[in-house]
Amino acid sequence: MSAQTLAEKLISKNHMGINIASVTIGVGILTFPRTLAKATGAFDGWISIVISGAVAFLIGWLLAKLAARFPRQSFFEYTSLIASKPVGYVLTILICIYTMLFVSFEVRAIGTIAKQYLFYNTPVEMITLSFLLVVQYAVAGSRVALLRLNLLFMPVVLYVIVVVLVFAQPLVEIENVRPYFSSSWKALLQGSKDVGLSYSGFEIILFYTMLMKRPEEAGKSVFLGLLIPVVLYMTIYVFVIAVFSAEVAKNLTFPTIELAKEVEVPGGFFERVESIFFTIWIMTIFNTSAMWLDITVLNLTSMFKKVGKMVWILILSPIIYFIAMLPQNLIDFFSFGDKLTYFGLIIVYLIPICLLIIAFFRGVKGNG
Amino acid sequence: MLRRILAQHRRQKASSSELPRQEAAQPISLSLSSNLQENLETIKTLLGNSHDLLTRSFFIGNTQHSCAVVCIDGLANSAMVHEQILANIQLMISTAEKTVPDDPEEILSLLFEEVLSVIEIKKESDFQSMLDCVLSGDTALLIDGTNQVIVIDSKGWATRAVEEPAAEGLVRGPRDGFTESIRDNTVRIRRRVKDYHLRFDGSIVGERSKTDLVVAYIDNIVDKELLDEVKRRLATIDIDEVEESGFIEQWIEDDFLSPFPQIHSTERPDKVAASLFQGRIAILLDGTPVVLILPVTFGLFLHSPEDYYERWIVGTLARLLRYIASFLAVFSPSFYIALVTFHPGLIPSDLAFSIAATRDGVPFPAFLEAILMVTTMELLQEAGLRLPKPLGQTVGIVGGLVIGDAAVSAGIVSPVMVIVVALTAIASFAIPSYQLAIAFRMIRFFAMFTAAVFGVYGVILSFIVIMIHLSNLTSIGYPYLSPFAPQMPRDWKDLILRAPITFLRKRPKALHTQDETRMRTGDQS
Repeated sequence: MSAQTLAEKLISKNHMGINIASVTIGVGILTFPRTLAKATGAFDGWISIVISGAVAFLIGWLLAKLAARFPRQSFFEYTSLIASKPVGYVLTILICIYTMLFVSFEVRAIGTIAKQYLFYNTPVEMITLSFLLVVQYAVAGSRVALLRLNLLFMPVVLYVIVVVLVFAQPLVEIENVRPYFSSSWKALLQGSKDVGLSYSGFEIILFYTMLMKRPEEAGKSVFLGLLIPVVLYMTIYVFVIAVFSAEVAKNLTFPTIELAKEVEVPGGFFERVESIFFTIWIMTIFNTSAMWLDITVLNLTSMFKKVGKMVWILILSPIIYFIAMLPQNLIDFFSFGDKLTYFGLIIVYLIPICLLIIAFFRGVKGNG
Repeated sequence: MLRRILAQHRRQKASSSELPRQEAAQPISLSLSSNLQENLETIKTLLGNSHDLLTRSFFIGNTQHSCAVVCIDGLANSAMVHEQILANIQLMISTAEKTVPDDPEEILSLLFEEVLSVIEIKKESDFQSMLDCVLSGDTALLIDGTNQVIVIDSKGWATRAVEEPAAEGLVRGPRDGFTESIRDNTVRIRRRVKDYHLRFDGSIVGERSKTDLVVAYIDNIVDKELLDEVKRRLATIDIDEVEESGFIEQWIEDDFLSPFPQIHSTERPDKVAASLFQGRIAILLDGTPVVLILPVTFGLFLHSPEDYYERWIVGTLARLLRYIASFLAVFSPSFYIALVTFHPGLIPSDLAFSIAATRDGVPFPAFLEAILMVTTMELLQEAGLRLPKPLGQTVGIVGGLVIGDAAVSAGIVSPVMVIVVALTAIASFAIPSYQLAIAFRMIRFFAMFTAAVFGVYGVILSFIVIMIHLSNLTSIGYPYLSPFAPQMPRDWKDLILRAPITFLRKRPKALHTQDETRMRTGDQS
C-alpha cells in the first residue's frame, strides 16, 4: 500500500478529539442531572461538573502521555514492555472484560430507554438484538471507517441538542436556579464523583493513539474531547435545573429526555419532541458502543494474532447480549453501570497511571 | 471478508472464460504471402466471403504490376478510397514523369512516399494486424510480389449528430453531448481543454470486440498513484466483448455488492472537462456516449454542472434542496409506515385523527399499503422508460393521476399514502444522477422493512447501517464520504455550499492533485 493511502488511514488531532467526545457523550448525559441534583441539591452542581471535568482532563492527559511514549504500539505491546508479558496479558484481558461489559451496558440502555419512550409492545430483547447487530456490522468494517462515523454523527447530535435547548428557553424560570453557592464543599465533591462517571470514555486514548498521525498531540485531543462534554453538560444541567428545579430533577429517571419532553416546537409539526430527541440520540449511543466493541476486538487481536477480527466479533456478541439481558429492572441496570465504572476506575485509570510512573522511572520508551 | 469474496468472484470470472478462449480467438498464424491472389483468397476465406467485404484488383498506372485494395463497405469512406487511392495510383503515376520501377518493394516505397496523399498511413507485414485495421475501417493496399501491405486510414462511417443528452438536460449550459464515436468524444473534450498536458491514453479492450478505450487526464494535475491504479485495473480486463462503458465500470469498481455507484457516468462533455481540471480521470469507450468519471464521492452525485453556471446563491440553494430530496426519496415512505403503525402520538393530534379517518376504509396495514403504492410507482417508472417519448408521458399521467385517484376512491390506499408516494417520486427525480437515484430506490425498500418492524427506531437503525456502509465504501481507494468524513474543511466550500467562484481557489484536497491551485492571481490571501 502506498504511503499516501496509508496516511488516510491515520487520524488527525481534531478527529481524535471528536472520537473522545462521542465516546464520552452516551448514556451518562441522559441521567447525570438526576445524580448531580441529588448530591448537591441545587444549581451549584455546575461547579462539580467543572471540577470533575478538570480531574478527567488531568487523568486523560497522563494516559495520553503514556500512550504517546509508545507510538504505533498497541496497549498490550507497551504494557508488556513496561511490566513484563504476563502482566500485559492479565491487564489487557481485564480491560477487554471492562470494555465488553461497557458494550453490554450501552446496548441494554438502548433497549431500556427505547422501551420507555418509543415502544409499548416490542420486547426489550428484540430492540437490543437489532441494535447489537448494527454495532457488529460497524465493527466488522474497517476501523478508520468506524471512527469516521463519529465525524458524521457528532454534529447532528449537537445540532439536535441546540435545537432542544433553544426551544426550551421559554420554559426557563429564573426562580428555580436560586439560591447560588448554597451547597457545602462535601456535597460538591460528592457531586463531582457522581458526574465523573459520565465522563468515562476518554480512556480510549490509551488504545487509539497508535492510529494518530502525530501521537504526541494526544494530550490536546483529550482536551478538545473533554471540552465538548464539559460545556454540553453544564448547559444541559443549567437548563434542567432552570426548567424543573433541583427538587423535581432528583426524581426524574432521565432528566435530559424529560427536558425534551417539555419542549414544544412552534408550528406544532412534532408533537412529542422527546421521541425525536431519543431517536437521534441512538446515533451517539451507537458510536459509543461501536467504539467499545472495536477496542475490545483491537485488544484481543493484539494479544492473539492468529484469531481474526470476525471470529472475535462472533464470539463476543452472544456474551455481550446475555450480559445485557441480565439486569432485571432499572435499579439493577443503574447499579450495573455504577459497578462497571468503579471497576474501570481501577483498570483504566489507576493502573495505567502506575504504568506511566514505572515507565518514567525505568526509562522505557517506544521505538518511535 | 468482502475482499475475499470479490477475489473469488474475479477468479471465477477468469477461470470460466479460459476454456473457450484458447480455441476461439487464437491469433491467425498465417503470414502474408508475396502472391496477391493468394492473399486475397485468404482474406475472403477468413471473413467467410462476407457481404460487406470489398476487394478490387487493378494495375498500377499503365504497367502490368497488379495490386488490390481491401476494405469494408460502409466503414471506409468510399469517396476517399476512390479519390486518394484508386485515382492516384491508376492515373497519377501514368501522368507523373516517374518511371515505375520493376521491383515490387520499390513500387511500394514509391506509393508510400510519393503517390498516396493521405495523412495516416503505415506499412504492415503482419496479417493479423492488417486484418484488425481493415475491420476497424482502414483500407489495405496489397501489391503483387511483396509480403508487405500499405494500410491507409480511411475511417468514415455514418454517425449520429451531436445532441443534448436526454437524461442530463440543463436550463443553462452547453447543449452538446457525447456521441457513439470515440473520436467525436475526444474532440468534444479537446475543444474544452486546450492544455497540452491533456493526455488521451488509448488501448483496446475485448478479445473479440476490440473496442477502443481512452483514458483521459491532465498530466500535471492528476494524482499519479490514482492513474497507476486505474491503469492496473483496466489491464486486468479480460472479456470477449465490451459493448458499453458499464462493463468497464463494473469490472474496475471497488465493491460489487454495494447498491451505490462508485464511478460516475455522464454524457456531458462540460462535466468531463470540469472533472479533468479537478484532477479526476475520465474513461471513454468507443460505441457509447456514456463516459466514466473517477474517483467520485457521494457529494459529487448530488452536484450538477448548473450549480457552477448559475450564481452561487442559486447553486447553493439548489444543492441544499437536493440533499433534502435525497433524504425524502429514501425515507419518506418508511416514516409514514413508522408514524402510522407505531407512533401516531408523534404527529399532532389533529393530523393524526385526519390520517386515521382517511385510513378508515383501508383494509391493509400501512406497510402493505406503502409497498403496494411504491411498487406501482416503480412499475410506472420502468414502463415509462420503455415507451416512446409521447407515450411515456401518457403513461405517467394515466398512472400517476388516474390510478392514484382510483385507488383512493376504491378504498385500497389512503390519500395521505398517495401524497407520500408522489413526494417520494418527485424527490427521486430531483436527484441529478440517475445512478444514485436507482440506489436510493433500492434502499427505500430496506428502510420500509425496518420501519415496519421497529418503527422510528428501525428507520434510524437503517440510517446508521447505510452510513456505516458508505463510510466503508471507497471509489478507486478514495473514501466515498470525503470531504464529510474524513473531514477536509477546505473542500466544504464546494459541497453543500457552493462558494462564489472567486473563493474556489484550490482544487479538491481529497484528490491529492499535483497542482492544487486554480487561481494564481491574488494568491497572497
